[in-house]
Amino acid sequence: MDEVIVEYIRRTVLKIPRDEIMAVLQKWGFLSEAQLQTINFRQTKESISHSVAQLCEESSANIKQAALLDIIYNHIYPNKRAWSVYRMNKTGEETDFFDFRDFKKKFRRQIQSALINVTINFREYEDNAIWIRIAWGTPYTKPNQYKTSYVVYHSQTPYVFISASTLRSNLPLLCQAMVVASNYHDIREMELRSHCLNSLKDIVFKRYSQNFQTNYPLQERNVLTENVDLRINDENSSEKERIHRLNQECFGDGPQPKLDFAQYKLETMFKSDPKWDVLEKKEPFRCLVKFSSPHLLESLKSLAPAGLADAPLSPLLTCIPQKARNYFKIREKKSLHPGNFVSP
Amino acid sequence: MEEGHNSDGKENALCGRSLTAASRDGGGRMSAVPLAQRKVEGGKVYSGDGVLGYLEMLEAQAHELGLKQEEKEQQEKKLDRLKARVQELRARRDELQAKVELQEKRLLDKEALVTDPARPSAQTVLEWKVKSIKGMLQVFYLTGISGKLTKQGVCFCISTAYEGTYLDSYYVDLLINPEVKIQRHSVPVFIPLEQIAKKYLQSDIRRFMSVLSDHLNAYVGRRHQADQLEEHFSDRIEGTLQRNSLCNLLVFNYTVSSDSKTFPFNVRLLYGNLCCSLPTEAILSCTPGTLPLLAKMAAAHSNTFRQMALHKAFDSIINAKESQD
Repeated sequence: MDEVIVEYIRRTVLKIPRDEIMAVLQKWGFLSEAQLQTINFRQTKESISHSVAQLCEESSANIKQAALLDIIYNHIYPNKRAWSVYRMNKTGEETDFFDFRDFKKKFRRQIQSALINVTINFREYEDNAIWIRIAWGTPYTKPNQYKTSYVVYHSQTPYVFISASTLRSNLPLLCQAMVVASNYHDIREMELRSHCLNSLKDIVFKRYSQNFQTNYPLQERNVLTENVDLRINDENSSEKERIHRLNQECFGDGPQPKLDFAQYKLETMFKSDPKWDVLEKKEPFRCLVKFSSPHLLESLKSLAPAGLADAPLSPLLTCIPQKARNYFKIREKKSLHPGNFVSP
Repeated sequence: MEEGHNSDGKENALCGRSLTAASRDGGGRMSAVPLAQRKVEGGKVYSGDGVLGYLEMLEAQAHELGLKQEEKEQQEKKLDRLKARVQELRARRDELQAKVELQEKRLLDKEALVTDPARPSAQTVLEWKVKSIKGMLQVFYLTGISGKLTKQGVCFCISTAYEGTYLDSYYVDLLINPEVKIQRHSVPVFIPLEQIAKKYLQSDIRRFMSVLSDHLNAYVGRRHQADQLEEHFSDRIEGTLQRNSLCNLLVFNYTVSSDSKTFPFNVRLLYGNLCCSLPTEAILSCTPGTLPLLAKMAAAHSNTFRQMALHKAFDSIINAKESQD
């Protein structure tokens, strides 16, 4: 058991960029300063990881410490995992006094009643974020520390962020445990996925900059005061300003949440000339459109100013943070607006 | 005559080129001038009449024309050069002129500030009006609930405060037609906005805004108290302050000394009313067995927590303890 744990710690340290290993180990707090001083951080990562493993073995690190290191690693580098957002519902109106200790107890009990071979660890952070790490086993084998799921939950909110990675078969159990522990009734997956956890939080918690019109604080129109050369006239200045204004209305001033992609599934009828009778089948034309980008919303915001698209952009693109989804299904226009919605 | 020709041979050789040149292009230009005149032209003395003499003369003329043409070409080149120079100088002049104008404009702007104070210009009156309107808007903002009409409805701003400190602002953008609906908002997700909206939004917008404002102000107040406690008294608290998103359950431990012995106290503050920033319940617990001794103190502390703001209550508890010792 010890060797497995030590090896696990070693492999976790290997994942950290070399310059930051010291800071992460300090945050972990398991090894003392004196022990950390004995490690030569100028060697290769392989050697550093072996030094750390050695020290951990000497200090008899247990599974809890190893799990904590993994949580800290994932908290500092959350963008290495793919996160999905789930939404819980409840019908009661009572005030919920969320007690962290109660929550932990209920969660653990719910999971372990179905599957005893799990390692569950919790860590609460300053911004009321609770990180839960679950290492899954089977009814016959011990938990595999390399097959982990992560849950991030802010108390008294209906949103849960889950990174399941492997073993999606355990997802229903995980969701059920969340519902019971947080005093909700049911849970449903939202159509919102990304690698950037903080951006997902920004979108559902409405922390991104929405352009609210106010009288005060006064909104100064930021006139671009560069070195204006009086001899140069911009023939298109009114068009430029129009595009800038429309862009501001759609996207706001501040930085956009970071999404990787937006996917549109079209199930619309192919509209063509009645002559081409052969294509006028009664079946809808199926098509999948996917926009990928390192930073999707920023690139959409710069489409109109760069002249690549007309302003205003299609509401299907600009509604992504507002509707909190990046998977869309577009069906025929029976009602005024297509697709199935998640009410925000 | 033949000798004269021979002595002019060199000249003729020199003119040979110009003769051919003249014959090339000036063939048509040579007018028929009487022989006698050409004899004296150019100060040159020709050997005499006759065909050769005539040819000599033509040669010389061609030579002269050639020279003149060269001169003309050179003059044209010079003219072009001078024209280019003129362009250059004109461009430079324009540049300098633009610079001068910019400078003058800047100076004028600076001067505009220093106007005659006795007679307020239209500009200063306008500026004063704008300033007073800005002041009014600020006053509205400071009252806590302000709004601005939008194209489709109205956008309300709730600016929260707790005991004199202004804290966050939250926005609610409402649509008016066909029925009152929230288009978007920046209210934190743990505030029960949907519940409040379901109850009051359709019937009484004022009540809706008032209730929402109460919730937000109370939340911000509780959060502020918890932050103040952590900031100023983290050394008197054992471990960390346990909270949740709404800050309606706070749990922490501190030590109490009585008869020169220290006892740990654990306090759970429950804020049952989300519109209130004081706890509805303050449950103090201590290690089992010590309760009879400390019952009075626990009750007193519980009262203090329920009646005063958290950081002030804690402050008074600690100072009371110190004065006791």
